[in-house]
Amino acid sequence: MNIRELLQPESIFLPSSVSTREEAIQQLAEGMTAAGAVTDTADYVRAVLAREQQSSTGIGFGVAIPHGKAAGVARAVLGFARFQQPIDWDSLDGDPAQMAFMIGVPEANAGNEHLQILVALSRKLIHDEFRAELLQASSKEEILDILSRNIG
Amino acid sequence: MKKLLAVTACPTGIAHTYMAAESLAKAAKEKDIEIKVETRGAVGVENGLTPQEIAEAHAIIIAADTDVDEARFAGKPVVRVPVAQGIKIPGELITRALNMQPSSSTAAAPTTPADSGVKQQNLFYKHLMNGVSNMLPLVIAGGLIIAFSFLFAFTKGGVDQVEGSLGAALSTIGGASMGLMVIVLSGFISFSIAGKPGLAPGLVGGVLAKDMGAGFIGGIIAGFIAGYVAHWLIKHIKMPRNFEGLKPILIVPVLSVLIIGLLMVYVIGEPIQWLLAQLTAWLTNMGAGNAILLGAILGAMMAFDMGGPFNKTAYTFAVGLLGASIFTPMAAVMAAGMTPPLGIWLATLIAKKRFTKEEREAGKVASILGLSFITEGAIPFGAADPIRIIPSFMVGSAVAGALSMMFGCGLHAPHGGVFVLFIPNAIDHLGYYVLSIAIGTVVTALMVLLLKRKAPVV
Repeated sequence: MNIRELLQPESIFLPSSVSTREEAIQQLAEGMTAAGAVTDTADYVRAVLAREQQSSTGIGFGVAIPHGKAAGVARAVLGFARFQQPIDWDSLDGDPAQMAFMIGVPEANAGNEHLQILVALSRKLIHDEFRAELLQASSKEEILDILSRNIG
Repeated sequence: MKKLLAVTACPTGIAHTYMAAESLAKAAKEKDIEIKVETRGAVGVENGLTPQEIAEAHAIIIAADTDVDEARFAGKPVVRVPVAQGIKIPGELITRALNMQPSSSTAAAPTTPADSGVKQQNLFYKHLMNGVSNMLPLVIAGGLIIAFSFLFAFTKGGVDQVEGSLGAALSTIGGASMGLMVIVLSGFISFSIAGKPGLAPGLVGGVLAKDMGAGFIGGIIAGFIAGYVAHWLIKHIKMPRNFEGLKPILIVPVLSVLIIGLLMVYVIGEPIQWLLAQLTAWLTNMGAGNAILLGAILGAMMAFDMGGPFNKTAYTFAVGLLGASIFTPMAAVMAAGMTPPLGIWLATLIAKKRFTKEEREAGKVASILGLSFITEGAIPFGAADPIRIIPSFMVGSAVAGALSMMFGCGLHAPHGGVFVLFIPNAIDHLGYYVLSIAIGTVVTALMVLLLKRKAPVV
């Protein structure tokens, strides 16, 4: 499994013009639905919002990683949005989110191959250079390139 | 070269665990510090720490929101933070870990006794206080409402509530609140130990302790046993994967309640019944002997467990003698039952700084409960620090009981506290009786101040 199996162009928003956390989550979920990975958008969005309620997924450095596990998710999926205007995500360091990776996982978990990719992505996000590349990318293809190069 | 270890974990186990791990590794690299980070995420434990590495490490950073099998680090310096802090301030965590005092070089042995001793004690105190602080409102509400109900009874010139009156209703309400005291104490001690699964067995253990007359000491014992039973069950019961869901909703509740219940009935309950019988026989035998000694013993019994078997025996013994027109033991028992709350109130007045704000407030209420002969008003203080406070109560109450007997004070009613003083002919030698209670109160307060720890423990 590689990153292109998780992240399709349909669920990449570059740039995204939404202005709230809820809108961003809704938009990304619809993108995943368009990519065929999510079958019940509302169900999945509910799961993601419930997770946000527990504690914000704004991990700082301008990055948010909303995620949710739901029956409405058919296969493991990733979404990416880079915001025109940084969005308040109630993040750890107080800074608004410049971009978000949203993660969807099916209720009945099929293997953990996709987890390895998400783990690698999580680790990469800590590094400034990786984030800078993502912030500068000018096309969906470029985003996918950066991710494949760094994660596999 | 100081070596550090770290463990990261989060409930979802997908993102935060690994970000914190990467963050710590990155910060360590920048500081040129050697660190190994174990991750406990959705893909299982990776990069696991070996006992050898733990023994050699200078300190361990735990950035986690879930259990990380912390027991293996016993005796090592640990910096413990939520997983988010591992992502946010990795550099600071590393500095803090480096500045920790290294444990003794024999750290290969899993614990250094002194260290874990202190930890154990603090933990014990933490669980106890969780029970006491949840119990406190019940004692205050119940005690004050019962005290208030006395006003209604005594305006009628008697000591018993008229059935169906507001006074009787207040008495019932206050009694209900007081009745929950031991139950809540036990329940929340257990809750503190085992979390949610601890609550059910703790509450049940508390009800059993209360019903068998084991008092608040029984409640404390029940709470600790229930908590550790639940904790043990959660940790050690292994279920086949498909039935894992049954564990928290069926297996742990049923087994934990059953175990604490059986222990309370057969292991704790039987000896208490036996003890009650022995104590009663003993008091009856010595009844005619030395009056002052009897007063002191009755007094100490009243204060020892404040509602437990000793207290009940002394009280029942004195009430029983009323029927034979022997009034002095009753007076001694009531005086001794009033001095613990009154004494603790006086102590909080004399040495404000030695008590927390909460304790000072509770002290004010205790004064009213003391005047009303509601000994239970002192329980929150006694339960919070039994080893030091209870002996203080016992000495003060013994003095009050002995003096009351010495002066030949008699009490013709089985309860009533200060209110009964205003009923004509209810008390023989009224002036001396008040003096006995006052001296007992002062002695209690001085004993508390003498034995209590210097600073309030928070």
